[in-house]
Amino acid sequence: MEIFDALMAGFATAITPANLLWALVGCALGTAVGVLPGIGPAVAVAMLLPITAKVEVTASMIFFAGIYYGAMYGGSTTSILLNTPGETASMVTAMEGNKMAKSGRAGAALATSAIGSFVAGTIATVVVTLFAPTVADFAVKLGPPEYFMLMVLAFTTVSAVLGQSALRGMTALFLGLALGCVGMDQISGAARYTAGQMELLDGIDIVLVAVGLFAVAEVLYAAMYEGRSVESQNTMSRVHMSARDWKRSWPAWLRGTLIGTPFGCIPAGGTEIPTFLSYATEKKLAKGQDQAEFGTTGAIEGVAGPEAANNATVTAALIPLLTLGIPTSNTTAVLLGAFQNYGINPGPQLFTSSAALVWALIASLYIGNVMLLVLNLPMVGMWVKLLKVPKPQLYAGILIFATVGAYGMRQSAFDLFLLYAIGMLGVLMRRFDFPTAPVVVGMILGPLAEAQMRNAVALGEGSWVIFLQRPMSLALVAIVLAVLIVPRALRVWAARKEARARHHYQSADDIV
Amino acid sequence: MSDSSLPATAAADEAPDCVPSPRAQTAVGIGVLLVAAGMAAGALQISSDAGYGGVGPNFLPWLCAVVLALCGAWLVWEARTGGFRQASDPGGQPKADIGPLVWVSAGLLVNASLIGTVGFIVSCTLCYVLAVQGLRRASRQPQAGSARTWAQDVATGLLISAPVFWAFTQFLAINLPGLTETGWL
Repeated sequence: MEIFDALMAGFATAITPANLLWALVGCALGTAVGVLPGIGPAVAVAMLLPITAKVEVTASMIFFAGIYYGAMYGGSTTSILLNTPGETASMVTAMEGNKMAKSGRAGAALATSAIGSFVAGTIATVVVTLFAPTVADFAVKLGPPEYFMLMVLAFTTVSAVLGQSALRGMTALFLGLALGCVGMDQISGAARYTAGQMELLDGIDIVLVAVGLFAVAEVLYAAMYEGRSVESQNTMSRVHMSARDWKRSWPAWLRGTLIGTPFGCIPAGGTEIPTFLSYATEKKLAKGQDQAEFGTTGAIEGVAGPEAANNATVTAALIPLLTLGIPTSNTTAVLLGAFQNYGINPGPQLFTSSAALVWALIASLYIGNVMLLVLNLPMVGMWVKLLKVPKPQLYAGILIFATVGAYGMRQSAFDLFLLYAIGMLGVLMRRFDFPTAPVVVGMILGPLAEAQMRNAVALGEGSWVIFLQRPMSLALVAIVLAVLIVPRALRVWAARKEARARHHYQSADDIV
Repeated sequence: MSDSSLPATAAADEAPDCVPSPRAQTAVGIGVLLVAAGMAAGALQISSDAGYGGVGPNFLPWLCAVVLALCGAWLVWEARTGGFRQASDPGGQPKADIGPLVWVSAGLLVNASLIGTVGFIVSCTLCYVLAVQGLRRASRQPQAGSARTWAQDVATGLLISAPVFWAFTQFLAINLPGLTETGWL
């Protein structure tokens, strides 16, 4: 009941007219950002971080949460209607969604993804409501060694497990950690990598890196490589689901939520695995006529499941962010930056020291989900019009907003030059297939991890063995090693088995 | 989950292969090695004073330098032995268009150099106009560069940057530089 009372208090804060307005503007802006190609939620939040200087903390967190959420809804609209593979989160939705749209069922695909997002988002918010306080209670008991190992786990999964190549992921992660080193050391106050520049003493701002890597790089990439790409758009149809569509969507939404929620809860990050897993499950479970639609005319389960899994993961990812202070995606990393701008460090104490803020934020998630359902079902036609904005104007316009974000922070022209340099780095990373999330997560989490590590070693009186002496920390060391070793071992084992089978087959041939 | 359950990304076969050449990949690997060298050079100047703990402020910089050096060397090795492993196609066209890059870069750099003196609205409009002209050229628009597109782009640039400026200075009270002190221009 304690939780219920706290949640009600949160609702009381969240439904004040001003906060409702922030939520609505955030959701609308988020949907627009999700629909428009070229900018995602991480950039949108990053570009608007300067408002943290003036807007009160609860209002701005509600606003940012709306953007975070809205972008997920909007992203699926684009991936269903445009025939270009978008960001990873909506890539799976695009596979079946595109096929449905091509066979004249765009409306049903849009409806099932919006309602599925609502169902999954709401269920996952209930999970956040019920479990976040428990996790926070537990997390209070963690010391620096455990925290450090949790962060190492986040680093490992973000860089070495997700993505195509562990090597490129690691390179990106350490590039992010290196960027995080710039500025004054938190513990000793020593200046690092400032090259005598006063501007660098405060460190490189997360806004610069996020906006540079995503927005500016996207524009530069479009100018250099994508000028001649032609996009085709599918025709809209009435947003409507038949009784059969409902019957097929319901179980898929619930299964997707069930798959997505646990993936969000663990500090590992990434929506790729849960969405693909949900897609594979739906495909396997479909029978007869329904299964024949997969990959041909488009199966509605293939949109409903992954879309629900995506939203459930994204929502549940707020648990590690709020209770442990560990971001596992670009957007949550930037959200952590927003908290830091207010001098708040998310972690177990957040639920006691800033209880009003946390509960208002959670309440606003429920409200935001309802708002987004309304914004995305009856009003979807309005958002689709955004896809008609011509690319040159859209991309050039993004640069104006990028300037606001980068310059609004501390009015330094130096930052704008740095923004350009980071943008060029982003183009290289995209071209050579380096993932960007490890850079952002490494940069924002690096200084925190370093502080925990140094505190932990100090706790062990200078000995690194401390990480192995405490049961929780030891368990985390084992998990990190398992995450690194098991998938590779399985791959080697499978390859060897195949080689042996082939060898066996060949020698049998020789005898004959 | 087997790979066969996932259809290949649409249109992957007809698009030209855009994975960069091994030579370019080698250059990237060498770039990472150079960053590592830079990190190491910087780390030499950071105090190693560990205080009560066993770890000083120069530990993480050295760790980054060493790991980046290893990654750089490995990247070079991969590039020299058949190219980066599992490199996915970045999309777009195989060769970079340099012209549009120059236009967009000019927009961004002009913005960075002028924003303090001519104010947000003028500077951002300039940036917008240069960038949009570059992007028009990138997409081979025949009318790019005509007087009409220039006029159109200047108007659009003003229509975006002026309301953004007002929203931030008047409504959110965030300081952005103006040409005048009025907060309106």
